[in-house]
Amino acid sequence: MKVETIRALWKRPTRKSVSLSKLLLATYILLALVAPIIAPQNPHDPLQIYAWEASSPPLAMGGGGYTYLLGTDGLGRDIVSTILYGLRISLVVSITSTAIAALIGVAAGVSAAYFGKWVDVVIMRIVDLQLSLPTILVALIAIVTLGPGIDRIILAIIIVQWAVYARIARGVALSEISKSYLDAARLQRLPTRRVIFRHLLPNSIAPAITLVPIELGHAVALEATLSFLGLGVPIDKPSLGSTVASGFQYLLTGQYWISLFPGLALFGLIASINFVGEDVRRLLDPRNRSI
Amino acid sequence: MSIITTVGGRLSQAFLLLLVMSLIGFVGIHSVGNPVYNIVNIETATTEDIRRATIALGLDQPLWQQYLLFLKNVVTGNFGTSYIYHLPAFDLVMSKLPATFELASIAMLIAAPTGIMLGLLAGRRHGSSVDRNVLKASVSALSIPSFWLSMMLIMLGAVILGWFPSGGRGATVSLFSREWSFLTLDGLRHLTLPALALAVPNIALIARLARSGTIEMESQDFTRFCRAKGLSSRRILFRHTLPNISVPIVTIVGMQFGGMLAFAVVVETIFAWPGVGKLLIDSIQLLDRPVLMATLTFVSVAFVGLNAIVDLFYAVLDPRVRLSA
Amino acid sequence: MPSKDLGSALLAAAFATAVSVAPLGATAFAEGLRIGTSYKLMTLDPHYADLNENTSLLSHIYERLVNQDEHLEPQPGLATSWRQLSPTQWEFKLRDGVRFHDGSPFTARDVVYSIERVRDFLKPPSGGFQLYVKGIKAVTTPDPLTVVIETSSDAPTLPLSLTSIFIMPHKADGFATTEELNSQARPVGTGPYKFDSWQSGEVLNLVRYDAYWGNATAWSDVTFRVIESPAARVAALSTGDVDIADYIPARDVEGLENRGLKVDSISAARSNFLQFDIGRDQPPGVTGKSGDPIKNPFRDKRVRQALTMATDRAFLADRILLGYGTAAAQLFPPGLSGTSVKLKVEAPDYDGAKKLLAEAGFSDGFNVMLAGPAGRYPGDSESLQAIAQNWARIGISVQPVVAPFSVFATQRSNGDYPVWYGGCSGEAVTLCLDAVLASPNTDLGTGSLNYGKYHNESFDEMLVKAKAMEAGPERNESLARATELVMADYPILPLYHFHLIVGHGQKVGSYAVHPRGWTTAMQATPSED
Repeated sequence: MKVETIRALWKRPTRKSVSLSKLLLATYILLALVAPIIAPQNPHDPLQIYAWEASSPPLAMGGGGYTYLLGTDGLGRDIVSTILYGLRISLVVSITSTAIAALIGVAAGVSAAYFGKWVDVVIMRIVDLQLSLPTILVALIAIVTLGPGIDRIILAIIIVQWAVYARIARGVALSEISKSYLDAARLQRLPTRRVIFRHLLPNSIAPAITLVPIELGHAVALEATLSFLGLGVPIDKPSLGSTVASGFQYLLTGQYWISLFPGLALFGLIASINFVGEDVRRLLDPRNRSI
Repeated sequence: MSIITTVGGRLSQAFLLLLVMSLIGFVGIHSVGNPVYNIVNIETATTEDIRRATIALGLDQPLWQQYLLFLKNVVTGNFGTSYIYHLPAFDLVMSKLPATFELASIAMLIAAPTGIMLGLLAGRRHGSSVDRNVLKASVSALSIPSFWLSMMLIMLGAVILGWFPSGGRGATVSLFSREWSFLTLDGLRHLTLPALALAVPNIALIARLARSGTIEMESQDFTRFCRAKGLSSRRILFRHTLPNISVPIVTIVGMQFGGMLAFAVVVETIFAWPGVGKLLIDSIQLLDRPVLMATLTFVSVAFVGLNAIVDLFYAVLDPRVRLSA
Repeated sequence: MPSKDLGSALLAAAFATAVSVAPLGATAFAEGLRIGTSYKLMTLDPHYADLNENTSLLSHIYERLVNQDEHLEPQPGLATSWRQLSPTQWEFKLRDGVRFHDGSPFTARDVVYSIERVRDFLKPPSGGFQLYVKGIKAVTTPDPLTVVIETSSDAPTLPLSLTSIFIMPHKADGFATTEELNSQARPVGTGPYKFDSWQSGEVLNLVRYDAYWGNATAWSDVTFRVIESPAARVAALSTGDVDIADYIPARDVEGLENRGLKVDSISAARSNFLQFDIGRDQPPGVTGKSGDPIKNPFRDKRVRQALTMATDRAFLADRILLGYGTAAAQLFPPGLSGTSVKLKVEAPDYDGAKKLLAEAGFSDGFNVMLAGPAGRYPGDSESLQAIAQNWARIGISVQPVVAPFSVFATQRSNGDYPVWYGGCSGEAVTLCLDAVLASPNTDLGTGSLNYGKYHNESFDEMLVKAKAMEAGPERNESLARATELVMADYPILPLYHFHLIVGHGQKVGSYAVHPRGWTTAMQATPSED
């Protein structure tokens, strides 16, 4: 089904594909929400897994009384269920981390702009340092230091992403500060908190939001990559990335389904986020409209 | 004058970066586990043996002392000896460099021409179906997780078609006292799939950049003037547009090349390509701290260095750009 | 048995003594052999790390005084015969006419040098081999082809200990350092293959040593390619990139056979088992059903017995290892010296197990964390999952936790786990009895794997007595009795002895898999045509 959707995205003119990618993304979110209801198996519960039915091919009949539509993985987990539950993990990780990273980043950027002096120097030095390194490297170091676990992955992604928001928010906040109404506000001796929360933050958030979809896509990919490298989610709570990874050893001997289907689902998820992100950016940034 | 201060600032920033990164990496790998368990035979080593080996590696010292010792040694150019291979850590990194370098180079040789052609094609016919498809294909290509792309390439090229090997580096030939595999047929067969895996996202990036550059050029009066004079589209495209959009493209090629040194981590791991990236992951998994530190340092220096060169190049080519800006 | 000189021509292949090597002329086979191995050669120093990862590949270059056949019995190597002069003295007669790859003759001085290098020169972190020589007080050389080894205490199995020590040529100016062996000098030994080139962790190239003292080797040159991923080894074998691949996953055997490749296997001289924390009152990771802390259930023999009864070991061997494993009731597969023939694996009895649990005061069961390494041994993480399902039937809810081996090992020694999956292998069952079941004792060097702090004084005594006996049926009998005594207390839960599976292509006629898990060109016999 997803293959068709992607193919359709390809063919149709732009207007239509906007709604299609949005539709796909909405479907993903819906599936993640109802996963426990529609999944035939809970892949996190060892009692529902039949280890001896490991790496059954698609359409094999399972001991639980249901068919393994897309087969099972190397530990006997139903791939359909693993995808549905993995989707939850991927979405929870990426949405949580992106949201927190955006908040922290904007707050740091605005603070740097407003307080200036050493606050600005310290924050922006860290931002520069971080942005001058490849993200995968920062993520690797972060996750090695933090240790494995879902909460740690979220933290690692936040560490990777906050700097981008900080840089943008600072730029916007600086230009806001130079505007006269803030001077007026200051002259009236409005409290700092009020200046920041009433004026600076609202104005700085909008440009940062254009980044959110792109960074969300990055977050999904990053979680999958870390899990793939064995530095991410625990094995009894498989994400899409770690399932693809676990299928690698079976791929070479022709048991393709463990990597193929979860990978397709992952690709579809990232692609739909990215397409939606493109549209959001185009809408919010008029200069980009033609490009 | 301004260049000197900029270079100075750059250097001090890079230095700070290395210091912070080494500290975090050092603490990080220390907290994971004791590498001694990968060196001794766990089935015969007594607690006493493990304690002695831990002392021998200096791992019983307080962490800050270990770190200071490490810094002291690095200043003299010594990254220590690999716990696992018992070879100087930096030499080990250098011995893996040719493999990564040739992989990244071939990937770029595939990506740059393909990406530029696609971008010119799309930009020249802005708004056409070709353009839209190139744009969509590039968004899709950038959405494929690189590990999954690699695995699908293996499935297609190695398992189903059987044209290419599924991993490893193949035969090598010695050149400049380094081993290279791009000079042998077997080596090239081994190179194809991982190079493609690295190339795909770069094709997409370069195509996008070339496309937007072309659109901008095509809308300029000069191009219209040329066209009015009856110059062929192809001539305009290659003689006029291409040179004008080359600066940002060279920039992205340079930056991505540096990025590949780091991003090859995933591709090299999957294709069992014995390069720097695989060494980095292996050293994390084997808790081989000297090798991890040497690899991290090398990759960061290479990345930062390449970016600095690209910036410099940019400034030379395009006088409008001020380095200090 | 090993006291008569069997002659230099016999038993040439270093380990595969029982293999009938077809009498082939050296020139008839000028073919090369390519082997895909899981063993990453870490260093060229044969005394650096006591790990198959190193010793397997280096055994082409270096040889030992004594070899081990596939029943793990000692057989002549560079020593042709040996005898015990007194309880603390052994005499070894050395093979005449052996030359190192650099042309120098092999003599008693090289034996002294090698033993002293391991015992006195190498410092930690290397040091695994010290275990085998630290009891040696002095090595004397009455003549160039005789070595007398004096030990500080009774050493009835010294020849077995020497099956681990590679012989290096002596150096006039002190001992060779590991760095030296890794970088400048080419490693020089007496083995059937000479070192050609290597890249650590990638490849090792060897060429035939024409002046080898034993049977001419079958292959003109040997290339080892380190392929760590099992799937990639299988792929390399099936596409013909290598002629031999070791550690084939059981699930891939059928596919290989369908492609016309052959597979040989043998039960490994080892076992994998679950160990319990018995030493502490309240180990972490164990709670009552409502999450409340409880007293250590594993101190009660009935609980350990119940868990053993509730574990379907035949299932692990048949379904998870796909028949390439034997359900275990002790530390080494039955049949090897010192094992018991009486210990049997019973079919699971969930009702009986429940009853025992209730007697022990755990009628409601409990929650427990079950830890293990990921992908270190065949079937490790899959087994944890299957055991979790087994135990759930008697009310014990298991949380399986797996980690990379070094992380797992660190946390195990930190005492972070209540029950864990472990393994033991070695040159003799005594090594595992000492390591896993004997009480931890630094002086005796026992209990190195006994992280659960299991103590059984009567077993300790029996084991010490048995180990002091001379090699032979009586000693084996005593070891078996001691094993039976200790296993009746359920100190560990033996799971399985997995099989070592090696695949090979048409070029290789047969491959004699060795229970120690070595992968060498000497074990491969070329096919007839």
